[in-house]
Amino acid sequence: MRVLKKIRLRFRSLFRRGTVESEMQAELVFHLDQQIEENLASGMPPGEAREAALRTIGTVSQFHEECRDMRRVNFIENLWQDLRFGIRLLRQSPTFTVVAVLTVALGIGANTAIFSVVYAALLRPLPYAEPDRLITLGEVRRQEDSSGQLTSASWVASYPDFRDWRQQSKAFASLAGFDPDGFTLRGAGEPESVPAVEVTPNFFHTLGVQPFLGRDFAPGEDQPSGPHVAILTYGFWKSRFGGDPHVIGRSIQLDSNSVTIAGILPPDFEFAPRGNGQIWVPLHISNGLASRRNLRWMRVIGRLAPGSTPAQAAKEMELIGSHLAAEYPQENGSLRLVIAPLRDRIVGMLQPLLLVLFGAVGFVLLIACANVANLLMARATRRRREFAVRTALGAGRRRLISQLLSESVILAACGAALGLLLARSGTVLLIAAIPEAMLNTMPFLRDAGVNPMVLAFLLCATIITAVAFGITPAFEASTRDAAGALKDEARSSAGRTSTRLRHALVITEIAFSLVLLVGAGLMVKSLTALLNRNPGFDTRRLLTFSVFLPDASYPKDPDAIRFNREFSDRVRVLPGVAGIATISIIPLTGGGNTIRFVNEGRPVPTGQESESSIRNISAGYFSLMGIPLVQGRFFNDSADAATAPQHIIVNQAWAKRYLPGEDPIGKRIRFTFSPKQTFREIVGVVGNIADAGLDSPEEPILFVPYLQGPDSFITYVVRTLGDPANSIGALRSTLRSTDPQLIMIQPTAMEQIISQSQSVFLRRYPSVLIGSFAVLALILAAVGLYGLISYSVSQHMRELGIRIALGAQPSDVIRLVLGEGARLALIGLGAGILAALGLTQLMRSLLYGVSPLDPLTFATVAGLLLLVAFVACYIPARRAIRTDPIAALRCQ
Amino acid sequence: MGKPTDLVQGTLDLLILKTISLEPKHGWAIAKRIQQVSRDALQIQQGSLYPALHRLEQQGWIEAEWRPTETGRMAKFYSLTRAGRRHMKQELTTWNRLSEAINLVVQEI
Repeated sequence: MRVLKKIRLRFRSLFRRGTVESEMQAELVFHLDQQIEENLASGMPPGEAREAALRTIGTVSQFHEECRDMRRVNFIENLWQDLRFGIRLLRQSPTFTVVAVLTVALGIGANTAIFSVVYAALLRPLPYAEPDRLITLGEVRRQEDSSGQLTSASWVASYPDFRDWRQQSKAFASLAGFDPDGFTLRGAGEPESVPAVEVTPNFFHTLGVQPFLGRDFAPGEDQPSGPHVAILTYGFWKSRFGGDPHVIGRSIQLDSNSVTIAGILPPDFEFAPRGNGQIWVPLHISNGLASRRNLRWMRVIGRLAPGSTPAQAAKEMELIGSHLAAEYPQENGSLRLVIAPLRDRIVGMLQPLLLVLFGAVGFVLLIACANVANLLMARATRRRREFAVRTALGAGRRRLISQLLSESVILAACGAALGLLLARSGTVLLIAAIPEAMLNTMPFLRDAGVNPMVLAFLLCATIITAVAFGITPAFEASTRDAAGALKDEARSSAGRTSTRLRHALVITEIAFSLVLLVGAGLMVKSLTALLNRNPGFDTRRLLTFSVFLPDASYPKDPDAIRFNREFSDRVRVLPGVAGIATISIIPLTGGGNTIRFVNEGRPVPTGQESESSIRNISAGYFSLMGIPLVQGRFFNDSADAATAPQHIIVNQAWAKRYLPGEDPIGKRIRFTFSPKQTFREIVGVVGNIADAGLDSPEEPILFVPYLQGPDSFITYVVRTLGDPANSIGALRSTLRSTDPQLIMIQPTAMEQIISQSQSVFLRRYPSVLIGSFAVLALILAAVGLYGLISYSVSQHMRELGIRIALGAQPSDVIRLVLGEGARLALIGLGAGILAALGLTQLMRSLLYGVSPLDPLTFATVAGLLLLVAFVACYIPARRAIRTDPIAALRCQ
Repeated sequence: MGKPTDLVQGTLDLLILKTISLEPKHGWAIAKRIQQVSRDALQIQQGSLYPALHRLEQQGWIEAEWRPTETGRMAKFYSLTRAGRRHMKQELTTWNRLSEAINLVVQEI
């Protein structure tokens, strides 16, 4: 009740000000009259009675003011006044205002832009029902994960294991599998190669996603003989079918199958592990895949059952895994189960990168704040008399602080408004700078932008910024002795605390810039090291593409071999083409395809065989790629023909790991996936290559000849004489003239693969961004230092004038001024180096080929910073020696 | 009349509350009443009285009403609210305890 009454009174005081004021007046008049009456009654003459009464009342206005204070509305009225006054003042000094607003806008804009990306990637929940209950699972060979790092290759399982998990686990409400695929889509326009995904029918149900149109997959549609149906993404439906709702139930031609469209996914659907998948079809498990427990290929996701926790699920799966290992020692003996939240798998790679960027951009904002604080303090010093006069006229300390703070709030608000514009275009740029191939793995970034969360962040950042750069100058200015300021009106020098504070701010700016510069330097060095890394083959003028031979036209191995020979022969004679070869998996694109084997004469316990990558190559592959022969011979089409004895070639890393200290040539190994496999002889050793990515170690690889294991999905590498892009047309028409029904899948130049790869992205992106932030920080810090030194010079004009008049040489004056700057720069440098030593450890996972403590980077950056600091101090120093001593002495 | 004795911090509120606890009074009457009862020992300056009244009103201890005085002029009359009465009782207890304690000490020495 009392609270309600209080609120009503406050509102009355605020909004019915006129009434309240006149009541106050009336009350006072009444009091006065009573006093006068009493005075008259005691015998005073009328005039005197009135004067005496007025005396007892004191200053009427002050009295009113106090009553108003008690009504607590002064605060709001004052704020309004302060704001209007602040705006007037800021308009009077446009240069200061523009510089301050721009600085704040840059800081807030950059932070908001990065935040909108951070929000889209890390904070926003995945667009599925209860996304926190989604889990991803995989099986890893103990031999393989010595590094402990989980890559996309870790998240695979064999179908029989998946089936057993599904039957035995209680902790999961459902487990679903998927496998990336691609189809040639025919009908309705040009044939097109479309990225696709094969999924178990419960896949969308597990994610909690309902089709936007049509229906979800039905149980049983994954049988080998099941119906051919497909669900399309919203975007693909719009672009390829014009958003026609009657498309449901229509048939399209995928490869050689006629497939019925069953449904359309919602517009906001995304699935990062296959971000560019447009067509979703049920997995049709062939009998071979259904029974082969040693083939790990299926990606598995699961939804936790109500009430079960991730820890319970992990425990249960571990138990199931150990049962399976006991039951199938040959296949599962050495498998280890890995389990993680789906979110970790999706954003795990991005998290360190974004956090480092967020930290870096936060530094920029801090530097911007320090700079504006510095400007405000310099201004406050010039306005010292104004404050003194106001204090003398009765302004309280709180009033002065609130006046100064409202000026900061105005500056911050203008900065934030401009910053919001910057952030909007900044976010677009940030996303546009991500290569398409990378963006496909992070589809959630596509709609990063301004949303309520981002606006809330902006608001918080603005308030914090305003307080951060406003509070120190405000308190500092309000504590000065008013009388002193009025007395020595001629010299308005800054107080000691003020100077010390401004020095501290500039030192902080220099230290933060150093940290950013070191971070940028380390990133650039990593990027250079990565791009300069020799991947073991010649990446220049190399074009890759794939061709899929449908079973209907190419039912048997010899058919594929015949196509390959005919096509390759036609390509070789094309102008602009130097050579063509085939490889099962393009180097630098992420690995996969492994095989288990035993060395002859070295039996191992069941399930503990060695496992290494295997690649299927045509005879000319190594010479085309420029991979050197170390020992023995390359494959050739006569000695390694389809019916010839089976031979293999290994790389040096393989020989070193599996035949250490021995001559590999002539040694034999046997693949263990089938008892029918015979021993194969090693006929050659070749150089190592970086296979999984530019930053990956040189892993052991086995090579087998294409003719002895042809595949219907053939990947070609073509060495061109000019720009690979110019040869695509000729290659495409050659393919069409060889077989008109085939299409060229994903023609990409190797250099494009590299520049769009995750390993390069993870270094180039932060290099550019931290680099820009560092440059911005350096400029801000230089401006801050320059401002401080110029100010100090102008404050000491008189002293400098005396010195020059007494015969000081210009070099002495320069030394004096530079000395002050150098002291600040060196302290900042020292603090920055200490901070950088600690902070660069946080970016360790992003670095490549450079230590977080790289002395060269630290030294270069320190040198650069000192140089900039020198220039920033030298300009005011030059001005100091040009002063005319007479003018300097007179001017104050 | 010498300088009026400075009021112990916070006692002005109590004096006002007590003075209007019997019947509503306007500001001038409150000041007069306090002066009379204390035999001129306590003189409330207008500069303290009115801010205090406004504060008490804002806090909800007292409420104000415009009504005619005996002479027919309109004046702002202050009266205790229920919360104000409770508050006054608490304050009185505190005050009594405090003054007794002070008396004990002062008389002892």
